[in-house]
Amino acid sequence: MPVIYPISSGKGGVGKSFIAASIGTLFAKLGKKVVLVDLDLGASNLHTLLGIKNPKNGLNSFLNQTVKKLDRVAVPTIVSNLFFINSLYCSMEIANLYHTQKLKIIRAITKLPFDYIILDLGAGSNFNTLDFFSTSQEGIIICTPEPTSIENCFRFIKAAYLRKLKQIIKRHAFNSAVKNTVFSPNKTKMEAPDIIDVVLKHDPDRENFLKNKLSEFKFKLIINQFRKNIDETLGDKIETVCNRHFYSNFQFLGNISYDERIPESVVSKNIYVNKYPYTTSSADLKKITEKIIKSRRLTSQASKVS
Amino acid sequence: MKSFAGLTYYDILNIPANSSFIEIKRAYRDVLAIYNDDSLATYALFPSDERDNLLKTIEGAFSTLIDKGKRVAYDRMLVRSGQVDKSILSREEKKKPIPLFHGKNLTKEDDLVGRVKRKYIEKKVKKLSKNILSKDLISGNDLEALRKAIGIEISEIHVVTKVSIAVLKAIENNQFEDLPSGFYLRNFLKSYSEILQIDSQKIIDGYLKNISHVQKNG
Repeated sequence: MPVIYPISSGKGGVGKSFIAASIGTLFAKLGKKVVLVDLDLGASNLHTLLGIKNPKNGLNSFLNQTVKKLDRVAVPTIVSNLFFINSLYCSMEIANLYHTQKLKIIRAITKLPFDYIILDLGAGSNFNTLDFFSTSQEGIIICTPEPTSIENCFRFIKAAYLRKLKQIIKRHAFNSAVKNTVFSPNKTKMEAPDIIDVVLKHDPDRENFLKNKLSEFKFKLIINQFRKNIDETLGDKIETVCNRHFYSNFQFLGNISYDERIPESVVSKNIYVNKYPYTTSSADLKKITEKIIKSRRLTSQASKVS
Repeated sequence: MKSFAGLTYYDILNIPANSSFIEIKRAYRDVLAIYNDDSLATYALFPSDERDNLLKTIEGAFSTLIDKGKRVAYDRMLVRSGQVDKSILSREEKKKPIPLFHGKNLTKEDDLVGRVKRKYIEKKVKKLSKNILSKDLISGNDLEALRKAIGIEISEIHVVTKVSIAVLKAIENNQFEDLPSGFYLRNFLKSYSEILQIDSQKIIDGYLKNISHVQKNG
């Protein structure tokens, strides 16, 4: 089974594609077979970061059924073991996918024959992004240490949490009182705590089941564009507070120092960790990659035990 | 989202229940750094009324735990409701300083007194002490003989009386030039006699008389 890491953020321009490309490269250099999937539909530019000028087939060929299997459109990059699937030529309306198409993509992605699948998603809490984000229990959220970014980061976390909560209720046996209340069309604005209250009220036996299910989700957080004068414990604080106030798990992966050579390598269309492997920022990225692998090992061990 | 409902004050400050005053203060500062109004880490996470409630609870936790009386009452409440282990109540006693020489020495003294008393049942010892008291001049050798008959060591007398071993030896060996002057000597002899449970006034008088007698005839 491949491991899927969706990467998203609350706010745009915080470095999602950069981090996706970097982590993908570092995984590949450890000998893993990795594919990067650009799912920032309508605003894709991961190929530029990877230095691929004119990608041909991509997600579009899979959606219009010119190719049967998604792995056929995965193209190699300059890093060995690292492959790439673009969404560049998907039609202009693709940003609003049909539900069936979305399910088709998700199903195809989970079947890709790779060790690691990294999804570069769009920013913000629209349904496409949230549903792609929910394909895995180990989504990675990027933010920068600015109030605007953190505000949207929390908004994204809350939206993803709510989406997962609704998914759990939809897919598992909760009694009809719960399902009717949660999915009734006239109650459009229901927040996560409201739903948990509904379960407590109408189906109290399922409370622990719901909490266990929620705790299976392990949100991961990265702070990008980190500068010297900023509180170093910011990420740890966010981790603490989220673990306290949500039923899911949160893990802070680390800060990535700001480096002027990062925008420079974007301009020159080079992969930063490839070109500057010994800078502080590259070291930060390596540490984060190791932490991801380590936590992966722990969860797989835990699941084997149970 | 979960609120602080169901958490103890210790959970809220994220510290174990046996934390010290300084640890509580530090934890309070750390928690405030997360929940305060101007904290970047929770910017826009909580609606303002929810944040106010959280801050009020944190404030309540801190003001209870730094007040000794309130904290003890709160701990009792936690133990009664079964939220924490009983052991936190004994924390207060544990933290008190242990008095120097307390305990061990007390039992030693009791022990020594008892041993000497039991020895006095023997006729030999009784006779010896009577014999000494009937003397006009009492020398160190008499005291040493009595001590040996009772069967205790100089070091044991030292532990209880705190009179130095050198002085005790000087008393028994009649090394008058090594003994301190009148007032101190009286007190040392008094302590020594009390351990041997013999009339201390008579011993002091007899011993001092013996000293002047020896020095006159010396």
